[in-house]
Amino acid sequence: MNRKRLQAVIEKEWLDMRKNKMVLSMMALLPLLLVGMILGTVYFMERAPDSEYDPATGDSGMALPPELEALGYKEGTIILLNDQYMFYLLLIPLTLPVYVAAYSIIGEKETRSLEPLLATPVSTAELLVGKTISAAAPAIVLTWLSFVLTAVGLNFIASPTVLAYWVRPVWSLSMALQTPFLAVLSTASGVIASSRLNDPRAAQQVTGLFIVPLIALSLIVLMGKVYLNLRLMSWATLLIAAVTVGVLWLAIRLFQRETILTRWK
Amino acid sequence: MIRTEHLTKRFGPLLAVEDLNLHVERGEVFGFLGPNGAGKTTTLRMLAALIAPTSGAAWINDRRVGQDDEAIHASIGLLTETPGLYPRLSAKENLSFFAKLHGVEDIPGQVRKYLTLLELWERRSEPVGGFSKGMQQKLAIARALLHEPPVLFLDEPTSALDPEAARLVRDFIETLKGEGRTIFLCTHNLEEADHLCDRVAVIKQRLIRVDAPDALRQDLYGRSVRVQLREVTPEILAAVRALPFVTAVTEASPGLRVALDEPETYNPVLIQALMTAGAAIQFVERESHSLEQVYLDLLHESEATA
Repeated sequence: MNRKRLQAVIEKEWLDMRKNKMVLSMMALLPLLLVGMILGTVYFMERAPDSEYDPATGDSGMALPPELEALGYKEGTIILLNDQYMFYLLLIPLTLPVYVAAYSIIGEKETRSLEPLLATPVSTAELLVGKTISAAAPAIVLTWLSFVLTAVGLNFIASPTVLAYWVRPVWSLSMALQTPFLAVLSTASGVIASSRLNDPRAAQQVTGLFIVPLIALSLIVLMGKVYLNLRLMSWATLLIAAVTVGVLWLAIRLFQRETILTRWK
Repeated sequence: MIRTEHLTKRFGPLLAVEDLNLHVERGEVFGFLGPNGAGKTTTLRMLAALIAPTSGAAWINDRRVGQDDEAIHASIGLLTETPGLYPRLSAKENLSFFAKLHGVEDIPGQVRKYLTLLELWERRSEPVGGFSKGMQQKLAIARALLHEPPVLFLDEPTSALDPEAARLVRDFIETLKGEGRTIFLCTHNLEEADHLCDRVAVIKQRLIRVDAPDALRQDLYGRSVRVQLREVTPEILAAVRALPFVTAVTEASPGLRVALDEPETYNPVLIQALMTAGAAIQFVERESHSLEQVYLDLLHESEATA
C-alpha cells in the first residue's frame, strides 16, 4: 500500500467533507446534543432532593441493581442513567461514519468520478482504506472527545463517585476498543449500501440494523436486569469485532473495480 | 503502443466484445467507431485496465493488461464522457488530488501549466460545480494530461459540449496529436473522427473494418469525379465509356459520375474527350463520401453478411 496515495485519498475526503455543510452539521450535531443532554440531566438530578430517588417516598425511584445499592438511591440512579447514556455515545461511531461513507461513495457515483479515479495508479485497497479511515476517524475522535468532555463536565457538576463510575474500566475499555470497531462496521455498511442504493439517506438507514441490539442492551441495563462488568463487555467487544470483520469482508468483496464500474448504478 | 489479441468480454450471457484484434502505433490518433452498445466503452475499459477481459489479451506500452495494471494506469490518461470532477472542490484542488495519486513531482507547476493551457487559470480557486460543461470538460482533459501520459483514452470527449466548446476541445486534441501522444478516441462524431484520426476502426461487438478514412472510402467506392454538364447526350456517354481508364459511368443529373483509378493523371484526358464530344462542361469536382456514409455502409454490409 502506497502511503502517499493513501494520504491523498484521506486528505481529499476530508477537504470535500469540510466543504459539505450538510455532512459537517450532521457530524457536529449528534455529539453536541448527547454531551449537552448528559450534563444537563446530571446537573438537575444532582440538585434534586434525595427523597425523590427513594422508591419508597419519591416519584423518580428506580430499582437499582445490587452492585449500586450501596451507593444510595440518588447516586445509584444517576450512575444507572449514565450507563444508559454511554450506550448513546456508542451511537456516534455507529451512525456518523455510515453517513460520511455513503456520501463519499454515492457522491462518486453521482459525479461519475469513480472511473477516472480508478484509472489512476491508486489501488482498490488504498481507496477503500482511505475512505474508511476518512469516514471512521472523525467519528472515533468525536466519540472519544464527547466521552472526555462529559467527564470534564461531570467533574464540575457531579459527585466524585458519579465521575469515577463514568470513567471506570468497563466504559474506558469499551470506548477504546468498541468505538473503532463500531466505526469500521458503520463505514463498511455504508460501502455495502452504496453499492445498491443511490441515496445517502437510504444508505444510512442500513445501520438501523445495528442500532436495534445496542438500544435493546441499554434498556436491559436500565431495567437493572444486567449490570455491566468487564467480562460481559469483553464478550460484547468480541461479538462486535466478529460482526465487523464479516461486514468488512463483504464490503471488500463488493468494492472491486469491475463490480463498481459495471454493476453500481 | 496499444495491442489486442482475440480480446473478448462477456457479462454473463451478454457478449460485449468478441475476438478483437487491434494494433495502434505510437503517435497515432485512432478512432473507435460503433453504434451504442457495440462494445466501445467496454473495450476502452479493458484497455485502461479497469475491467478484465474474459479471454484474449491486451498490451499498453508492452505491459499486459491484468498483470501490470498499476504501471498501465501510470502511463495512460482517461477522459470519460462525463467530466467526473468533484463539484465542491476547486479546479486546483481537483487537479492536485489526481496529481498526487499519479505521483507527479512538480504538482503546482503541472497544475498551473494545464490550467493556463486550457484557459482556466483565472478560475482556479472556484468550485468546479459552478463551471459550464465546456469548462468542466476542459478541466477533465487537464486531469488526464497532468502526469504527461504517452497514451490517452478519450471517450466521447465532445458529445456533451456546445459547438464552441467542442471546437476548443478538438483543437486541443490536435495539439496533443502534434506532441506525438497515442490517442484512442471513441466517438459518435464522425466528422470529428474524419478530421482527427489517422485510422478508424468500426466495431459492432466484432471488428468490422480498420483503416485510414480515405483508404476506407477508396476501398468502398473507388475514386470518382462528378462532371456537371448542360446536357448529356448518347454521344457524350459513348465517348466517356470508350476511355480505357474509366471503370464506371453513371448519369448524375445534370451530368455524369465517372469512376476512374487515377483522376490526377486522367482528368485532363477525360475533359478533352468530353469537349471533343461537344459537351458543355459547367463544373468538375472530386466526388467525396463522408465518413458517416462509409460508417453506415460498413454497418449495413456487416449486418447483411451476419
